[in-house]
Amino acid sequence: MRVGFIVNPIAGMGGRVGLKGTDGVVDRAIKLGAEPVAPKRAEEMLKKFLEIHEMDVCWLTCAGDMGENELINSGVGRFDIVYVPRYPTTAEDTKKACMEMIKKRASIIVFCGGDGTARDICSVIDKKVPILGIPSGVKMHSGVFGINPDAVAKTLSEFLNGELSTGEVEILDLDEEAYRRGEWRIRLFDTALGIVEPNYIQAGKAVFERVPDEEIKEEIADHIIDIMNEERDALFILGSGSTVHAIGKKLGINKTLLGIDAVYQMEQVGKDLNEKEILQLLDKYKKAKVVLSPIGAQGFILGRGNLQLSPEVIRKIGLDNILVVATPSKLASTPFIRVDTGDKELDKLFKKKGFFLVIVGYRLMKVVRVQTNNL
Amino acid sequence: MREMTEFLRREYEEMEKQGLTWVIKSLNGPSQPHVVVDNKKCLMLASNNYLNLANDPRLKEAAIKAIEKYGAGAGSDWSIAGTMDIHVELYKKIAEFKGTEDAITFQTGFAANAGLIPQLVGKGDLLVSDELNHGSIIDGVRLSKADRAIYPHSDMSALEDVLKDADKKNYRRIIILTDGVFSMDGDIAKLKEIHKLAEEYRAMIYVDDAHGEGVLGDGHGIGRHFNLEKEIHFQIGTFSKAFGSFGGMLAGSSDLIKFAYNKARTWLLSAAFPPHVAAANIAALDIVEKEPERVRKLWENTKYFKKEIESMGYDTGVSETPIIPVIVGDSKKAKELAERLYKEGIFALAIVYPMVARDKARIRNQMNAGMTREDLDFALRVYEKLGKELKII
Repeated sequence: MRVGFIVNPIAGMGGRVGLKGTDGVVDRAIKLGAEPVAPKRAEEMLKKFLEIHEMDVCWLTCAGDMGENELINSGVGRFDIVYVPRYPTTAEDTKKACMEMIKKRASIIVFCGGDGTARDICSVIDKKVPILGIPSGVKMHSGVFGINPDAVAKTLSEFLNGELSTGEVEILDLDEEAYRRGEWRIRLFDTALGIVEPNYIQAGKAVFERVPDEEIKEEIADHIIDIMNEERDALFILGSGSTVHAIGKKLGINKTLLGIDAVYQMEQVGKDLNEKEILQLLDKYKKAKVVLSPIGAQGFILGRGNLQLSPEVIRKIGLDNILVVATPSKLASTPFIRVDTGDKELDKLFKKKGFFLVIVGYRLMKVVRVQTNNL
Repeated sequence: MREMTEFLRREYEEMEKQGLTWVIKSLNGPSQPHVVVDNKKCLMLASNNYLNLANDPRLKEAAIKAIEKYGAGAGSDWSIAGTMDIHVELYKKIAEFKGTEDAITFQTGFAANAGLIPQLVGKGDLLVSDELNHGSIIDGVRLSKADRAIYPHSDMSALEDVLKDADKKNYRRIIILTDGVFSMDGDIAKLKEIHKLAEEYRAMIYVDDAHGEGVLGDGHGIGRHFNLEKEIHFQIGTFSKAFGSFGGMLAGSSDLIKFAYNKARTWLLSAAFPPHVAAANIAALDIVEKEPERVRKLWENTKYFKKEIESMGYDTGVSETPIIPVIVGDSKKAKELAERLYKEGIFALAIVYPMVARDKARIRNQMNAGMTREDLDFALRVYEKLGKELKII
């Protein structure tokens, strides 16, 4: 198995000194006293991996401190250098290196960095290959990161042993525009292929069937469409993410993957809507439901990547009209539904509700507890 | 090009690669505490034969007499010409034993669940099921057209959440389904709370007492244990565990029984089990009724084994019954321990992911009324030795 291994040597340096990221501001960071974090985290992961993984791995990496040094320092004897960066290294180097790794048929790309690095990698590999992140950035909201270097080592080993699956995960990052206006907003940028727990459904006594994501998503879509048929007078607002996207696909509409769309009586009546447009629609159609899916590494249904669904929008729709959908695989990595609307009173209502009956298949629901930030 | 049977090997090999295949060992004689498995003498810690009745002379005698009178087979489906008077006698005995109006038998508990559940509900109804319910309940639930809500294992506040939510949705019928005793962890369903919630929210209760019969409630099962015999609307049980024989049973009102045998496909379309099975079942019910000391011995052994193995440092999870898991953690380690146990002459089952969470793999031990103190001490000594060697304790 060929594993692409790439370290963003400057990732994470901004965090300790209070910067919002490190890309483009590394000199400032260094001036503020920042020291490299990523190489050490990368080596932690590698050392653990060598401890637990039994078979040989063919490592594809970059020269210098974008991978080569970390592999050597961890005791990895053999690896192929597929890219030589120029110094100082930039996001361009990350992207070019990944393209080389894809060319050299890497089965997975393991990187050490943060959301910024994840975005860079995602932009060039186009879901061809799964990516797995060693968390070492300033922001790590995306669903590609393990909890810590040890966990990443375990996940990598299990993936190489065939015990895990690949599935769509969300790439989130800071909304630069909003930041310039003085707001801290996390935006959904893209989806990527990540490593996920397989969907295991119990199919009989002691027999577990491993069901592909696509199948479960279709079942969920069937269920939501049933509801649409039962409640023909309701506007359906469809959130972001691939599970909700599958509903659009079943309906035959061109659902935006990253944005919020609206459907009425199976027809698309709004595409990639902003808050104002959603509120206008809610005024037009008195009754509405919203279909949401947990986003990113922590399972937020509100507050990360879909701020168009503002507190005002949510209050207008009503908590009882929120339908949450998720595959068993998603729930395995995010066992709580998290909410962070920014409106403390609204969050309290979610806390009071306490749980959602998450739709995990056709007419199949699972009780999942809600966690709000004001615990 | 369309494939033929190639998928059989391909999928089997895929399962093998993931470590999900079963390795079947064969018993060379009767199932009892001292068995011969694949020609090796072992202490049996993996059977459901809790009261050691599987090889009891009285069951054998009753069966032999029935074979002589009725023959080897029933000759037909339950519904057509396979029901014999000895089956009907068995129904009466079950109803008496369970404290219900009426009862009937199925091939197996699995068949009872798979055949009955889909008939009880349809579109517009709700089935509420514990996350860890037995696969046969899950299958029955899947075959139905009702909505299904799953609540985290024994989480009564989650169950209440589901019922509260269901109240708003105008379901025609709601049934809460639960195992009486959960077979992976050995814990008992919180039936008193379930009953309270069911009454409050007007839901029916369906209990599969397969691992509770012959074990709880002086052997009469979970209904007797919690004094809720008359409150459980649907009671499923089996003769293949503590009763040492074979067959599934359904106990409840006579309305239920009439409904069941007219609608459950696994009854209507299946051969009646042999008359000698009915005879053995009757004999077993009699023994459990008349020999409470058997159930007491089972619990004595349970308490002793659990106490001793815990004092060694083993984690038995939430076990409350003769099912005593020993939690090892890592799946590989659990499998290794199971193999080493077998080498030392102990036959116990390793349960690994995905049947349980990745880091909660375990060895499941099942106690037996026929085990002596020496048997238990032997097992404990081996567990202590191997536990230390494998650094589990």
